[in-house]
Amino acid sequence: MSFVQCSGLKKTYSVGGEEVKALDDVSLNIEHGDFIAICGPSGSGKSTLANVIGGLDQPDQGSVMVDGIDLANAKDSILSEYRNKKIGFVFQSFNLQAHETTLENVIAPLTVAGVGKKQERRERGMKALERVGLSDRAKHKPTQLSGGQRQRVAIARALVNDPQLIIADEPTGNLDSSRGADVITELKRLNAEGITLIIITHDASVAAQATRIIEIKDGKIVERDGTK
Amino acid sequence: MKFIDQFRTGLRNLARQKLRTSLTIFAIVIGAVSVTVMLSLVTSTKSFLVSSSEKIGMDTQVIVTGTSGLNYRESQWIGPDGSGKKIDADVLAAVEKLNNVQSATLYLAGSMFDSYKVDDQELTMKNVGVEGYTPNGTIKHILIAGSELSDSSNGSGVLISSDLASDLGFKGNETALIGKDVSFHYRKDMGPPDAPKADEVGKIIGVTSSDRGSVLSVDLDWAVEFQTWPNPQNNQNNQNNQNGQNNQNNQNEQTQDQSQIDRMGYGSIWVSVDQKKNVDGVLSEIKQLGFGAAAGKEEIDSQSTAFTIIGAILGGIGAIALLVAAIGVVNTMVMATLERTREIGIMRAIGATKKTIRRLFRVEAGVLGFTGGLFGVILSYGFAIGLNQILNKQLADSGITDRDIVSISPQIALIVMLITTVIGMLAGSLPARRAANMDPVEALRYE
Repeated sequence: MSFVQCSGLKKTYSVGGEEVKALDDVSLNIEHGDFIAICGPSGSGKSTLANVIGGLDQPDQGSVMVDGIDLANAKDSILSEYRNKKIGFVFQSFNLQAHETTLENVIAPLTVAGVGKKQERRERGMKALERVGLSDRAKHKPTQLSGGQRQRVAIARALVNDPQLIIADEPTGNLDSSRGADVITELKRLNAEGITLIIITHDASVAAQATRIIEIKDGKIVERDGTK
Repeated sequence: MKFIDQFRTGLRNLARQKLRTSLTIFAIVIGAVSVTVMLSLVTSTKSFLVSSSEKIGMDTQVIVTGTSGLNYRESQWIGPDGSGKKIDADVLAAVEKLNNVQSATLYLAGSMFDSYKVDDQELTMKNVGVEGYTPNGTIKHILIAGSELSDSSNGSGVLISSDLASDLGFKGNETALIGKDVSFHYRKDMGPPDAPKADEVGKIIGVTSSDRGSVLSVDLDWAVEFQTWPNPQNNQNNQNNQNGQNNQNNQNEQTQDQSQIDRMGYGSIWVSVDQKKNVDGVLSEIKQLGFGAAAGKEEIDSQSTAFTIIGAILGGIGAIALLVAAIGVVNTMVMATLERTREIGIMRAIGATKKTIRRLFRVEAGVLGFTGGLFGVILSYGFAIGLNQILNKQLADSGITDRDIVSISPQIALIVMLITTVIGMLAGSLPARRAANMDPVEALRYE
């Protein structure tokens, strides 16, 4: 059984009174350890697909099963636990809490889940920061870090709960090319350690590094690259 | 999410908007202070009045009157007017025999004087009562100076209430009145116009607090003499046999007067019951004898009820202040949810449930409420200290020994803090629900 199984996904948004098909009968399987790049123009539905797989959004129709969990029909508590334990999100704009330190940002998923004591959380947070090479920045605020560093903090936050899947939505979009490359290297390293990776990107050079590219247009998968 | 982490997060978020948080808390403080101070003021005054009443034995006091259906207040000053059943020594004896009656005295009140004189000061007796009773402990006063009437005061001892003492210019110096002579001048319209009685002269032996109004208290026997007027016929005799007949005249007068009291009776009988719980029993026994009976505790109860009502009204005003503060909390929390939309999205993305988000905002609102309540209570204690300083001076001026009568009970303090916390959480509920129900995808996109 595939790690991620999507079939017949449909999702329609109403934008300014007009119906936009974000997902139009999308079916897709992703295996453990895959590195998937989802490409496509703005508004094509690639983020919606990632959000549905990540349990942030639910489809209007169709089914999505990840690691045996039926996300399409799951209630809030199941979805939240799923996001907390199995998924790590990395966003284009980092989405760090500016008023918290790097370490506090990293351990936020543990705090939210009420995991262990504060000390235990901090230790796990420090380990995650070590994995992205930022343990010396634990007490810094995000504003004191460079863009690349901030994104690595976001990756550490995604890692802290040892997820099975990392979903990165345009992770290099706000970075210059060399910093962007560092972030991709980091993510690839995690993928090599066995974490399934889904990157949404405009950038052909990023997509080129994936084991599989999924092209979406008008809510439909238009092209599937074979495994490289 | 653990409560301690929610609490910590809440505190932190509040600290991010210091001015707004302070203003919101300030509004709650005002509400908390008004509720605390008003409730405490009322409960303190109430317990002060009750304890003052108990000090003079009012809670175990019963007044027996010839007329039925009078309340305690009405019974207090009733004089012998010939209406109703006659109150006399026989009734006293019957009452004294009742179970649980500790002591009893005949009581006579009247206003037969038009002025009284101490040193060279002569003051009007308008609205001033003169009461007489047997000093056997049934009737007690709160004394500011001197002592109660007693058998040893030789029958002409006078207790003077503190407001009269202050009319005489002895406010704060009441002790100086003790031992002074006081003379009472009879009203011209009392008794036969052709036989004016000479002034009565007594000695001030005590100054009482004015909780029963302007009153001069004397021994019953002397009070009986006040109401004693020579029979016109005796007067006639008196005038006819001018000198050398005075003694005999007095004898005649006494005889005549006794018969007058016999005819009209006394005003009332004051009874002291051994225990408060036995008052109702004594009341009904007296009523069975066919007399009116009113208990002091009814007066205390009705005063207490009045204070409870005042307390409810004042508390209600405080509650309005709290309601306004609650609206402030709603406002603050709505602003917070809007400002932190993106943060809410992030928290949802990393696994916060709707419930967690809801709780987070509710706890934050609760912290606002609790902090407001806490500072409100602290400030109220400050107010109480200030208020007591003013009141202590007033109490000292009126010769009352009680001090620091305004006290905020720990119960009131705790309840107010609990209420403000709950109000904060309730006020935070609506914004909290809004925050929880935000679409995480939309929230993450929010700029």
